[in-house]
Parts: sequence; C-alpha cells; structure tokens
Amino acid sequence: MEKITRFFLPAILFGAGCLFAQPQQQPYDLLLQGGHVIDAKNNLDAVRDVAIRDGKIAAVAQRIDPAQAFKVVNVNGLYVTPGLIDIHVHVYAGTGEPRSYAGDNSLYPDGYTFRVGVTTVADAGCAGWRNFEDFKQRIIDRSKTRILAFINIVGNGMRGAKFEDDLSDMQAKPTAEMALKHKGLIIGVKTAHYSGPEWTPVEQAVEAGTIANIPVMVDFGANKKERPMSELVTKKLRPGDIYTHCYSGLRDEQVDGHVNPAMFEARKRGVIFDVGHGGGSFAWRIAVPALKEGFPPDSISTDIHTGSMNSGMKDMANLMSKFLVMGQSLKDVVAESTWHPAREIKREDLGNLSLGAIADVTVLRVERGDFGYTDMYGARLKGNQRIVAELTLKDGKVVYDLNGITRPDWTTLPPGYRQSGDARWDAITPGRGGRGQTTKQ
Amino acid sequence: MRLSIALALGCALSAQAQTYDVLLKGGHVIDPKNGIDRVMDVAITGGKIARVAAGINSSEAKKTVDVAGLYVTPGLIDIHAHIYLWKEAGGEGTQADSHSFRSGVTTMVDAGSSGAKTFPDFRDRIIKHSKTRILAFLNIVGAGMGTGHEDDPAEMDAQAAAKTAKDNPDIIVGFKTAHYAGPGWESVEGAVRAGDLTGLPVMVDFGRINATRNINALFLDKLRPGDIFTHCFSGHREELLSSGKMNPAMEAGRKRGIIFDIGHGAGSFYWYVAVPAYAEHFYPDSISTDLHINSMNAGMKDMANIMSKLMSLGSSLQDVVRMSTSNPAKEIRRPQLGNLDVGADADVAVLRLDRGNFGFVDSAGAKKSGNQLLVCELTLRAGRVVWDLNGRASQDWKTFPYQKETWKK
Repeated sequence: MEKITRFFLPAILFGAGCLFAQPQQQPYDLLLQGGHVIDAKNNLDAVRDVAIRDGKIAAVAQRIDPAQAFKVVNVNGLYVTPGLIDIHVHVYAGTGEPRSYAGDNSLYPDGYTFRVGVTTVADAGCAGWRNFEDFKQRIIDRSKTRILAFINIVGNGMRGAKFEDDLSDMQAKPTAEMALKHKGLIIGVKTAHYSGPEWTPVEQAVEAGTIANIPVMVDFGANKKERPMSELVTKKLRPGDIYTHCYSGLRDEQVDGHVNPAMFEARKRGVIFDVGHGGGSFAWRIAVPALKEGFPPDSISTDIHTGSMNSGMKDMANLMSKFLVMGQSLKDVVAESTWHPAREIKREDLGNLSLGAIADVTVLRVERGDFGYTDMYGARLKGNQRIVAELTLKDGKVVYDLNGITRPDWTTLPPGYRQSGDARWDAITPGRGGRGQTTKQ
Repeated sequence: MRLSIALALGCALSAQAQTYDVLLKGGHVIDPKNGIDRVMDVAITGGKIARVAAGINSSEAKKTVDVAGLYVTPGLIDIHAHIYLWKEAGGEGTQADSHSFRSGVTTMVDAGSSGAKTFPDFRDRIIKHSKTRILAFLNIVGAGMGTGHEDDPAEMDAQAAAKTAKDNPDIIVGFKTAHYAGPGWESVEGAVRAGDLTGLPVMVDFGRINATRNINALFLDKLRPGDIFTHCFSGHREELLSSGKMNPAMEAGRKRGIIFDIGHGAGSFYWYVAVPAYAEHFYPDSISTDLHINSMNAGMKDMANIMSKLMSLGSSLQDVVRMSTSNPAKEIRRPQLGNLDVGADADVAVLRLDRGNFGFVDSAGAKKSGNQLLVCELTLRAGRVVWDLNGRASQDWKTFPYQKETWKK
C-alpha cells in the first residue's frame, strides 16, 4: 500500500494540473497480468502480476488492480522473466575488415536480441584499448540493445592471429585505464585465441582486471601442454573470473569420458563456467555427460557471430532450449540467462525484477512438440520443448511483440488509423501517426 | 577387423551408385513456374537441381533428408531489402545473411540503398562477401538512399546510372526511385530513362504525392509495363480512397502491366488497406520485406511472417509461394531463379505450416488474427544446407561419427 501511494500521489498532483488528465491517472504505465514470473534473484517462481512505471519495475504482486495501469497486457500461460543477458557476443561490425571480429565476423546486435528476448549483451573482446572508442561510437552508442563489453587484453582487439598472438600488444595498464574510463560499460577483460605456450595473455588480463576491479573472461585458445586448462582454472584465474566455451571439449574439459576434476575444484574456488556456444564450442558429447555429472553452466551465452548465427547455435532462445531438453528446469535455465550473468559482470541492477530495477522484461512461451538441436559438429539431440520469445520490453517499453499480444485488433481502430501505441509503453509504433503521405518507410 | 573391412567395402560400393549429393524426400513440392503442387522428391547434385520426381530411391543419394509433412519450394526471393551497410557508422541497412536463410530467403534484392556513386563500394564490401545471393535496384540518386540527396534532381543522372548497370549486369536488375518529395516528376523520369537505356525495370517508392503527381498519372503516363510499384498496401498515396474503395488507378495500372509489390517495411502495410484490397480481389504480384533496422523488429519481422500475413487475408499457400518465387523472378527478369527446373541452382526452402492462434501486426501496430504460420525449417543455397531449424539434415549425437568432418562443411 505504501508503495502504491508513493506512485499514486504525484500522479494525482500532476493529473490535477493537467487538462487531459486521463492517461496520467493510472500510476502504472504497463501491467503484465497473470504470467508465471521467474526471478532468480528474488527466488520467485510463481504466477504474479508485474507493473512498470517510468521504465522501472514498480510492483510485483499476486494481483495488481488493472485499473491502476495505463496499458494492461494479458500474459496468462506465459513466463515473465528479467530481460535476457547474453555475456558473450561479437558485435563490432561495420569496419569493413575481413576475417576479423572487429569487422566482418561481427553482427549488428539489434537483429538478434529483442526477437529472442535478449535486452543486454556483452561484447566478448572484439575491441582492445586502441579501438574501443571507435567500437563505442560506431555500435554501442547507436544500438537499441543495451551493449556492454569485455575489453580485449590485445590493444588491437580481436583482429586475427597476427594481432592476437602479439605479446607486445598485451598491456595491462592501458587496458585497465580504458576500462576505468568507461566504468559500468566495460565490465570485464577478455583474452582469446592465443596460440603460444606462454601465460602472458592470461597474466596481463588478470592484472588489468585487478587494477580495474572487473572479471576476466578466458577463451583459452590452443590447447598447450605448457599451460594446461586445469592450471588456468585452479591457479591462474581469480574467483569470479570466467572460463567460456566450457563444453567445447577442445581443452581437456572432458577426461576419460568424465568432467575434468579441475573444473569442479575451480568451481569451488569461485571460477565461473560459461557456455559461449559459438560455431565451434559446444558438443553434445561433452555437455550431456557434464550435466549428468552435476556440472551445469553458471551462465548461458551465445558467442554469436556471422559464423555461428546460422549454425547449430542460432540464437539465445535456441541455446536455452538446448539446456531445457538436456533436463535442466526452466527456472535454472532462466537464472543462467538473467541473474547469474548479471552478477558475473557486476551489473546487479540488471537481470532481476526487484522494485526499482530497470524494466527490461522478457515474456517467454515454452512450446511442446518434436524439435531437434544440433551442436558444433552438426550432431543432433531431439527434444520436446522449445523456448520462444513472445514479448520483449527494454526500459519498460515494448521492443518486440511476436504475436501482437500488446496490440489492439485492427477492426477496433478508426478508419485510416496511423498508430495504436503510446510512448508510455511502446517503443515500436509510439508516434507514427499524422504522417499522411510521407516519404520515409 | 574383418567386419570393418566388409563395411568399408560396402560403403565404397554403394558410393558408386550414389548419383545425387542430397535428396529431399517426401515433401510437398510447390514449384509454381513448373505447375508442380504435390508430394515429390527433389534430388540435388553439384549444387544444381538434378531431378524432381515421385519415388526417387534413397540409395541413389549420399544424403537423404526426410521432409515428409513439409513444403518444398524454390528458395524465396525478396525483391525489396536494404542490405547496404555503409563504411562509416549510421544508415538503416541490415546484414543480409542474418535475416535471409532463417526465413527461407536465398536471394535478396537491395532496393536502391546504393546509387551510381556508391555501388562499387556496396559490391566490393558487401555483395562479394555475402552467402545470400544479392542483386540490386540501383538508386537513380547517385549518392544513394538516406544520404540527404534524395530530393536533389542534380543527383539523378540517368546516364551514369545506366552505365553502372551495364557494367554490373550480374547484379543490377533495375532502378529505384524513392522518397522524392517533388513536386515534379524528376526522379521517376530519371529512373525510367535509365530503364529505357538499359532495358531494365524501375521500382518506385512514390514519395510524396500532390494534385498532379498522383498514382493515376504514375501508372498510366509515367511508368512502363513491367515497372514495379512497391509499398502497394501502404495507403500513403491514395491507393485506398476515403470511400473505402480501392483507387481505380490500381486496377487500371495492373491492366497496363504495372507490377504491385508489398514492400512492407516499418510504415507501408496497413490492414485497413490490405483487407479492402483483398475484398476487391486486388492481390499483390510479389511479396517483399523492405527489411531495414526499423522494420525488422516491428510488425514486418521477416519474409515468412509476411507470407503468413497474406494467408490470413485469404491467399493460399500456393499463392504466397508464387508471390515469393516465380513472380519476383519474372519481375526482375531472372528466369533462372525462383523455380526447381532441372539444372537450376539448387536454392531451396523447406517450409512448415503451423496451425494455431497467431497474431499479425501492421505498421500502426494494429493486429489481425490468423490461424496459419509459415516457419522455415531448412534452407539450401546452391545445394548446401545453410539453415536447419531442427537439425533435420543431421544425425543423432549418440551415433554421430564425432572424429570425422561433417558433410555440411
């Protein structure tokens, strides 16, 4: 009740001074009614109404009076979760550099996020301290998706072997300085693809992470006797550092058909294990036994790039479905795609539906049927569930709506209608009206 | 030991008899150009369609994919997309490969994102590196779309456009005029002139209309038969009169041979136009997306979604496949595309028709319900699997020969 008054009172005061008070009378901009809420941070796994105001979560309760909301959306039978967070993507597109993750291997993010329920992505080291500012102005500042970044320990970023194997360009200090300059945006340090026998890339990344107080994410590159994965995760990494591509099987994650014991030991130390599926980092023969032996991922991430987008990986919802059909509960899969990654990247303002949290919200449907999922080799696992994103909200506004569950039927609108949304809840068609014979599509 | 030798021998022997690389078995083939609309098998060899017939034996193929219960069509052709990503930041283009294969599209035609001045960059940086087959309408505006020059008649050099088209006959299929605010006919006339110089069609986004610059004059005086009016259900240009009836100019234009294309986009498809048009039996000739960063996540979504929308209006599956394959191929004068002729490039889409309660949203965010949804299960480009939603071309992981290279690579 207290909370309601807090929102209600200013609304009344504002409404009194407003000629067209009607829309202002409801304290909530948007109410998601009757959905099954899964919010790992708040240990919530039950049917709840979720109300949003000014882009923030305003109330989560068993019943919220629909009269208090400007827009009510019935999400009965669907799952309401925090906006999904994908902490391993490659989105430094558009530079024109071929065969480079700071170029043609990267995707423009918005085509792959909202339609699968993702509202936040973390670029996994496409840019280093030398080109991060370009990445920021070119992509981060222009995208609708919330984009965070792991900065590559290589100053030139992920531009191919010539750059990524150059030890002289791996400097903790300028990397940490750039990270500190963009605190909250640069949420970690990445090392990847190193083919040499030295520990230098990992050591420099950890040093940068220590200076900037952010975690390190490791793609451990070539499998070298001189620097075994077991030593990396049990000795070199700090608690909170992230080992990605954990089910690739390319670096002794599986020994004699079992999970490498070093991984259990590392998990006890607090090292994080992340999926990072990609085009070549996820095999059923590794993942299925690992889950059976009690080694689920801490976080699910796509490693999406032009080489993985059309392969067995496809997108975040497909990847979550894979863990569902391997036997994980929806509650676990959602936690691994929301609150866990948020915590890993120390952005605890995201990935949850606490009161006052940023209202990035995803509404998922779990379909039943005969589905198939393929791994990096093209091997298939059959399953009878698939996760589909029905509705995605970013900062409290609709950015994707698969079946128009937020939309009015066209026959209820006046002839020649030009809009049906409102800027209070809609970011797709908030104000397209009145353009008449316009020139732009 | 002896067993493995026998197995190896058996494999070698059977390989001899395998005429085809891939066999799509048991699907319902819809190939409008060839009048095929029934269950048939499709065999592919060397990236080309080798045979379409009932009862092709699996033993004749190295790889058989069971597509029973699904629809096998020519790879879809989207003749209105924006896939030119600028070198500098900004612009509204999208990445072709990110949107094409997952909705069954194998050919995308860029609708005037580039002009004569920028086409070489488009070709060099984008077209050359895309897996999707990319063709282009060249903008009559030399600087291309969205560059602040679309209202400048000095930029509309028909000679330069025609020369670029003649220099790139493998890619350029016509000319585009778009977004012109008028008041005159400069952009349409420039595009048609370039079309006359090359024998290629023109696609028109008609921009702003006025008392004299209207679709009646456009269809009856300015355009030639075979020219394409895109955004045909936008209602922005009096396609629908205030009486709720279609503008007679639409039917008159169709009689003259003008082509009507959807070009859905973010602001060019409204139920209140499309429903009356269908009621008057005015159907589009071709379906296209007008894919760009502002349409991709709105009501448009993708090619399969628009096809489903038109089915909710009453088009049959056969109709929407024709509007997305053989019709657009004819419109852009690429008769080798959009069909499953023996010898054609094996661009193939395998579609699933879901039944249920679906909602489809127009450019104003208004919803229409429907009970059929097309989903792309499998896409082949030049005979190779480039999209496989449910791993139908794969084998179970428990029996998978993990140490070997996969056949897909």
